[in-house]
Amino acid sequence: MMNDQATMPSHNKILVVGGGIGGIRAAMDLAESGRNVVLIDKSVSIGGLITQLDRTFPTNDCDLCTLSPRLSEGGRQEHIDLLTMTEVKKVSGDVGNFTVTLSQTPRYIDLEKCTACGDCFKVFPECVSFNPGLDHRAPTCMRYPQAIPQAYAIDMHKCQDVKALENVCKAGAILPQQTSKEIELEVGAVILCPGADVFDPSGLDHFEYGKNPDVVTSLEYERILSASGPTQGELVRPSDGKKPEKIAWIQCVGSRGLQKGAASYCSSACCMFALKEAIVTKERFQDSIETTIFYMDMRTFGKEYEQYRERAENEFHVNLVRSRPHSIVGDEATGGLDITFAPDDGSPSITETFDMAVLSTGFKVSESVRKMAGTMGIELNAHDFAKTDEFSPVATSVPGIYVCGLFEGPKDIPETMVQASAAACLAAKATQPAVHIDEDTLVNLPERDVSSEEPRIGIFICDCGLNIGGVVDTQNLAEFGKTLPQVAVSQVVGHGCSRSSMDIIHKTIVDEKLNRVVIGGCSPRTHETKFQDLLQRAGLNKYLVEIANIRDQDTWVHADDPEAAKQKARHLIRMATSSVKNAHPLIEHSLPMHKEILVVGGGVSGMTTALSLADQGFKVFLAEKAPQLGGLAGRIKKTIEGRDVPVFMEALTQKTLQHPGIEVIFNAIIVDHTGMPGMFKTGLQIAPQMYYRQIEHGVTILATGALQNRPETFLLGENPAVMTQLDMDTLLEEDLDRIKAMRTVAMIQCVGSRCPENQNCSRICCQSAVKNALRLLDINPDMRIFVLYRDMRTYGFTEDYYLEARKRGVIFVRYEKDAPPQVRPEKDGIEVTFVDPILGQSLALSADCLCLSTGLVADDEASEDLAMIFRLQRTGEGFFLEDHVKLRPLDLSTPGFFVAGTAHSPKNIKECIADAQAAAGRAQTLLAKNSIELGAAVARVDSNKCAACLVCVRACPFDIPFINADGYSEIDPAKCHGCGVCAAECPAKAIQLMQFEDDQILAKLDGLLERMVA
Amino acid sequence: MKQFEPVIVAFCCHYCAYTAADMAGSKRLSYPANVNIVRVPCSGKVDAIHLMKAFEKGADGVYVAGCLEGDCHFKNGNTKVARRVAYVKKLLDEIGIGGERLEMFYMSAGMGERFARVATEMTKKIRKLGPNPTKAMSTGNQGEAVA
Amino acid sequence: MITAERKPLEEIIDSVKPFQRILLVGCNECVTVCAAGGRKEVGILASALQMNFMKAGQTIDIKELTLERQCDPEYVEELSTHMDQVDAVLSMACGCGVQEIARRYKDKPVLPAVNTKFMGASERQGVWAERCQGCGDCLLGLTGGICPIARCSKRLLNGPCGGSTNGKCEISPEVDCVWQLIWDRLKALGMEDRYEDIMPAKNWQTGRGGGPRKIIREDLAE
Repeated sequence: MMNDQATMPSHNKILVVGGGIGGIRAAMDLAESGRNVVLIDKSVSIGGLITQLDRTFPTNDCDLCTLSPRLSEGGRQEHIDLLTMTEVKKVSGDVGNFTVTLSQTPRYIDLEKCTACGDCFKVFPECVSFNPGLDHRAPTCMRYPQAIPQAYAIDMHKCQDVKALENVCKAGAILPQQTSKEIELEVGAVILCPGADVFDPSGLDHFEYGKNPDVVTSLEYERILSASGPTQGELVRPSDGKKPEKIAWIQCVGSRGLQKGAASYCSSACCMFALKEAIVTKERFQDSIETTIFYMDMRTFGKEYEQYRERAENEFHVNLVRSRPHSIVGDEATGGLDITFAPDDGSPSITETFDMAVLSTGFKVSESVRKMAGTMGIELNAHDFAKTDEFSPVATSVPGIYVCGLFEGPKDIPETMVQASAAACLAAKATQPAVHIDEDTLVNLPERDVSSEEPRIGIFICDCGLNIGGVVDTQNLAEFGKTLPQVAVSQVVGHGCSRSSMDIIHKTIVDEKLNRVVIGGCSPRTHETKFQDLLQRAGLNKYLVEIANIRDQDTWVHADDPEAAKQKARHLIRMATSSVKNAHPLIEHSLPMHKEILVVGGGVSGMTTALSLADQGFKVFLAEKAPQLGGLAGRIKKTIEGRDVPVFMEALTQKTLQHPGIEVIFNAIIVDHTGMPGMFKTGLQIAPQMYYRQIEHGVTILATGALQNRPETFLLGENPAVMTQLDMDTLLEEDLDRIKAMRTVAMIQCVGSRCPENQNCSRICCQSAVKNALRLLDINPDMRIFVLYRDMRTYGFTEDYYLEARKRGVIFVRYEKDAPPQVRPEKDGIEVTFVDPILGQSLALSADCLCLSTGLVADDEASEDLAMIFRLQRTGEGFFLEDHVKLRPLDLSTPGFFVAGTAHSPKNIKECIADAQAAAGRAQTLLAKNSIELGAAVARVDSNKCAACLVCVRACPFDIPFINADGYSEIDPAKCHGCGVCAAECPAKAIQLMQFEDDQILAKLDGLLERMVA
Repeated sequence: MKQFEPVIVAFCCHYCAYTAADMAGSKRLSYPANVNIVRVPCSGKVDAIHLMKAFEKGADGVYVAGCLEGDCHFKNGNTKVARRVAYVKKLLDEIGIGGERLEMFYMSAGMGERFARVATEMTKKIRKLGPNPTKAMSTGNQGEAVA
Repeated sequence: MITAERKPLEEIIDSVKPFQRILLVGCNECVTVCAAGGRKEVGILASALQMNFMKAGQTIDIKELTLERQCDPEYVEELSTHMDQVDAVLSMACGCGVQEIARRYKDKPVLPAVNTKFMGASERQGVWAERCQGCGDCLLGLTGGICPIARCSKRLLNGPCGGSTNGKCEISPEVDCVWQLIWDRLKALGMEDRYEDIMPAKNWQTGRGGGPRKIIREDLAE
């Protein structure tokens, strides 16, 4: 994976530019679906912006920790060539046949040899570069400490004594002669995910950024919170190291056109970012720290983000102040920061003193990315982001070049992940029809039969740099290993997971005819697969390895007591050695993969995902409960950018109906479902005859959509002058005379959203209101329009339309949740009464039309049925619940299921299309395989011992065991989840869980408890 | 006299408690080295026999650590093992080993701090209880199972 | 199925005290199913005994073995190879198994480790209840398939008695009045008239009243 040269054949190669979280996702999706990827990044290691984040909302997890271990998993690395310190110089050619010139800055390090031991850094700190998020120096740093690639980089210009530097490296990895080089590649498609910069507030005198160290940006604050940051996770004020008591966040710095040089768009993620930082501050440090966020509109429009805001306010007591501070002035006497702001009720300015101020700086496209786009001939929008079409959200103006993440527009991580998978889907399509590769492309030695051999155990101890070697004497530990029974080899291997050490282990297994292996290293959670693969390559069954976790569970936690750590390391090695002798070869089961896909729901998401898959040669069943396709999008006339939706939908519908790979099943209700990923069976009942049909498929994609909310409030449904935004959208196309006759239109936002009945923000209604207001003015420029809102959530580039609406005279008036507008029918209209917060007075207006922004709600009834049949989880509001809010936004927690579009949460058409393409991309990662691999860690029944007592049948959480015709319990290995509950409950001890058999567990206890060994 | 250093066995489920232990590692949260982890796929895999044998072989304290209630990867393995732990505690009381040497804990994967705290508390408690009474006298003559 | 439960450990410990080498024998039939004496319970008991003696600085040699069935001579024969190495047998089978071992191995003391309780059914996982007393003259056909001999505290044939309140027996609110159950069942079957028939006094000779019983199938017996 860490090749310096790209050596793969170029047929279906795809270039991914940028190794941030989006680039990693795209590369992994492509690799898993059998494509070869060259992933380049200009930094010394990958990870992008996210490496600088302490945690991410709303789970407050470290996402990189969750994602990056997967990058090196199994066969994926065989498909990904990673080139760091590399940039694109030139791109020529066309889709399917690009020639790309890359330029690589020298690292002066041989990646094959560097073990990231840190010796060079210790002696020559000034000439070694490191990535701030993954700094190897900080002793407590990094919840996931493996930078990828795990290697240092040398800054040769700063190095005075090259020879001495070379000598300090025991691995001989320093290459002073390395030079910049150009690499030329033939690729079929390009995915751009170069990320964005954040706004530099240095130019803003009134915030004293750069002048006063206690004014920091949100990203800098993240570094202060981070355990791997400069303060090692202690929250202290940069100026004097004191614990801050009062912290202020100031939103929209560099966004929404407020400051000198600021962009006009909304950066979309900063409101949640600030809320998260405030919550983490409260959670991690002390609750007594006062946290205040100064904001204009609190834009928590994502899935369940509104509830996160509620929690911030009500549980964590984060103060939310709607105001734009005028200035921050350092008070030299107190060392505090005086923030002056005008409260939004029109009362005079207040000055409050804080200890620290955090500027929520927005995103902007960097100069280098802009240049790169120029060399590729990619059209940019007015804000220098890659221009995309509302109906084609990840395609740039150049066919074959796709974009995802921040370069497409400011956004949050889940949307970046969605776009990355969507871009991967399209790039895969642009290069070649899906090439179904066998996952077993590695050259393995044939598996040796060890059943009749006495155990010959090899122990390999990693020093993991100083992680293990710095605490215990690994050589001594290896010597100890030699004294254990049946151990043939016991040695230290440096970084066991490095390629060179893996080669040594491989060779030793073969040369010494080892038949059991113990690795003394890090956690089996992260590295078991890697060593299992190694055994397989070396001709041993992969279940003959046992990992002693002497790093995470010993040297890392007992560094303060080396003697105890040494004893415990011996215990752990003895436990593993004792247990591994009882390990025996296990066979993994595999079943053929059904390559068909069931898409449920024929709206814009369902059709798009069906077409994306069918175009790559997959057979798709599209089940729609209505007698026609279209869904909710079929009722929308115009997008905010003015695109004609019916024309687009008609084309999409025709394409879907006519595609030979898609079978549309109308009037279909899902009634039953069985099976497992790769071989599902779903039963449909088809109206009007209600006949039953069963479909076999490998993957299920739910695109069941949402419903237009129509709460019975504000006279909706009672008075003809009251309508929803969707009704208005239709009216705008169909009854111009009525529009022309209107003099005053009132709109009320958040109707049926952000309320006790529906806590969600419906996300799309603010932009719908702005869209319709502008269209109303287009038709009738003299119209007076009032929009009564709580927070205007025109995120991203839709902020421009909000600005335009204000410029064109639309009047936006805020109302409080507790004081909603009142409506009363009038002759020929509606009287709307509301409180103007600035005047503090109640105002009444007579409107010819009242337009309610009602948003979307989950189709609770339908999603409940489907959730029951498919055994899926839902949110409290009835939307399908994804597996991981940030990292796997479209994967459901039941394997083999994906969700797309508004069945996930409210979104606009552009977002639905991206979802649909992404779900297709995710589905392909499963469908690329020809067989379903089932783990071998399953329960096995000894029929001679079974008393057919039914205990296992009753105890199994998944109802797998049954008493067969022969009168004993049978457990289908294809269905067993491997928990071992049955084995623990069986009164006849007739069940063993493979890989965790009783004699293996007891042998561990023997190894630990010396009495038995002595 | 040197402080008594108990040997403690912790059966940890792969998905939560074992991950929490790794988390404690990556956060460098120190806890007593007396605790030795045996990884199981689910805490529900831990058999009453495993618990008994651990004491028979000489463990001074044993605990099972599973996912938080309702969070079990396999639905309810953690509540199943909790009942077994309660049953074995009674047995240990009956034979004078002392049920308080055996405990059940719940934690999520992210709770590195809780893992370290539990390990520390358990070690303290067993230290106070002293060595496993079976070790008080000479070593036992071990039997063997033939079927 | 015959249901049993392990004796209190103290009692078992007392009974094995005189012996140094014990053969602990489980049974893979009824007592396995009711979690009293299967392979697993054998393991747990062996461990408990071991620890008990180790605690006192004593040693005990326990051999664990579980037979397919302890109430058949052929299975019990499997123990013969171990008998000369043990001082006593501790059986976790029902009384039938204990006696079969005692019959076969005349010179070895056989100790019961479980109390055999009743013939019962499992109501749910971990709960067993008495259903049959082996009276030798089944009348379930008359009582809607619910046995008043096994399940009425007084074994009344024409119940209920005055102690039946709200469907519960007067001995405990936990115990259903079986005559209430019988009535409910007969009603559900539309056989209420059955209830009106007075059942004559039962012939207890077919049960234990007639002394130890034996069944001989002439076509099978040799």
